[in-house]
Amino acid sequence: MAGWRLESPRVLVVDLDGSKGSAVRAATGSMVAYEGDVSFKNAGMGGGGGLRAALKQRVTGESLNLMEVTGRGTVHFAVGAGYVLVLDLAGDVLKAESEGLLALSDSLRTDVTFTGLQGASSGQGLFTTTVTGHGQVALISLGGPPIALRVSPATPLVVDPDSYIGSVGRLQQSFVTDVSWRNLIGESSGEAFSLRFEGDGVVYIQPEER
Amino acid sequence: MSTQPLDPQTLPDHDNLPDNAYAYCVRLTGPLFMQTGRMIAYYPSGGGTIRFEPLTATSMSSMVASHFSSPLYSRDWVVANGQGHVILGDRGYDINSYDLDDGNLTVRAANLLAFDAGLELKESIIPGFLTLLGTGKFLASSSGPVIFVEPPVRVDPEALVGWADCPAPAQHFDAGWMGHFLGAARGAVLGTRSGEERQYDFTGAGTVLLQSSERMLEDPHVVRRLEGEVRSLGVNQLTHLQGVVNAQLQQHRQ
Repeated sequence: MAGWRLESPRVLVVDLDGSKGSAVRAATGSMVAYEGDVSFKNAGMGGGGGLRAALKQRVTGESLNLMEVTGRGTVHFAVGAGYVLVLDLAGDVLKAESEGLLALSDSLRTDVTFTGLQGASSGQGLFTTTVTGHGQVALISLGGPPIALRVSPATPLVVDPDSYIGSVGRLQQSFVTDVSWRNLIGESSGEAFSLRFEGDGVVYIQPEER
Repeated sequence: MSTQPLDPQTLPDHDNLPDNAYAYCVRLTGPLFMQTGRMIAYYPSGGGTIRFEPLTATSMSSMVASHFSSPLYSRDWVVANGQGHVILGDRGYDINSYDLDDGNLTVRAANLLAFDAGLELKESIIPGFLTLLGTGKFLASSSGPVIFVEPPVRVDPEALVGWADCPAPAQHFDAGWMGHFLGAARGAVLGTRSGEERQYDFTGAGTVLLQSSERMLEDPHVVRRLEGEVRSLGVNQLTHLQGVVNAQLQQHRQ
């Protein structure tokens, strides 16, 4: 889809042509510059995901503060000098941490899903924001460029929940709470579990631990 | 602009990830000592698993005892063992691999991420630094790319990552600042600090590793080391120390 490009690895540029299809929803406060006739409006409760999504976000802490960006012009988005990862969704389901979402096409739907049962102190990865539909979505990777890791039935993957930013595909996610993992995590963070992915898909992580 | 996914076939065996100075992949072939909290992902291979054992509860205790000679840091390290790829990251710091060939290298403890069992780790005489001896590979991080310089050189303590083959540094104080210090009334607060009066002075033959930024990490071991030394103090010294700590706290509150 035209209109989305990276001006540098850390700045997302979106061209809006005034049509409904070019409109985006972006993280509140992520606009760093724009030109043209563009309006920024709070997407309201649930980041435009509707009342049900808003309620779930309130309960789960998987809050999503988005603004609707519409009009005709060019808008630059950036957050915390993080690297931007742009993904094309063609009916796939993206699971992502809400704080890592930078922008998404207005045509995409967002919701909150529950991904696990076992105790987690930070909540990272316990509830996740799902993005579905056809369009583009931009995620933020802190500490360096995002890392894409393929998961196949022969190659399961384990990741640090504090480095996890999102995943696409048919993946089963489980929590690993073994003792050895607990020792691997720094004293400062109280994490006691890791995320294990099996199935078929791609997992995205960042080089920095949140 | 989308990233090509990596998998165990395309991951490097011992290198930075493609176009990513901030993440490093190691293919495990033997035990690997790792600092906790630096592993961001791993692929166990062949249906097996990778075990990360604390140094205090490892199945390889005699190997660990002979290679890790630092009680102070033992709580922050684990031994990884098994088959597969391990990916490390360190708060957005540049990560580099170094080869040591029957050598010795001293590195800031917070910047050392991992080392293999060909190397032995000991505590340096300089607080907050660790010394590696032997032949093998290790991973260290730096804020920005590492700069290599040769002695004689004086460096800012905060920019120092480590040094190899040369004698441990001496502390050097700027001559002008020293003159002022000696001339001033004893104990008076000096208003002339430039922030650069304390330096490390390297002499002899070897290599000094510097980072391009002075961003410092909070090192929990500094406190732990001080705690250890407090136990050997007498009542008078403790009372004096209490006064110093109180005065410092007062300053922070203002």
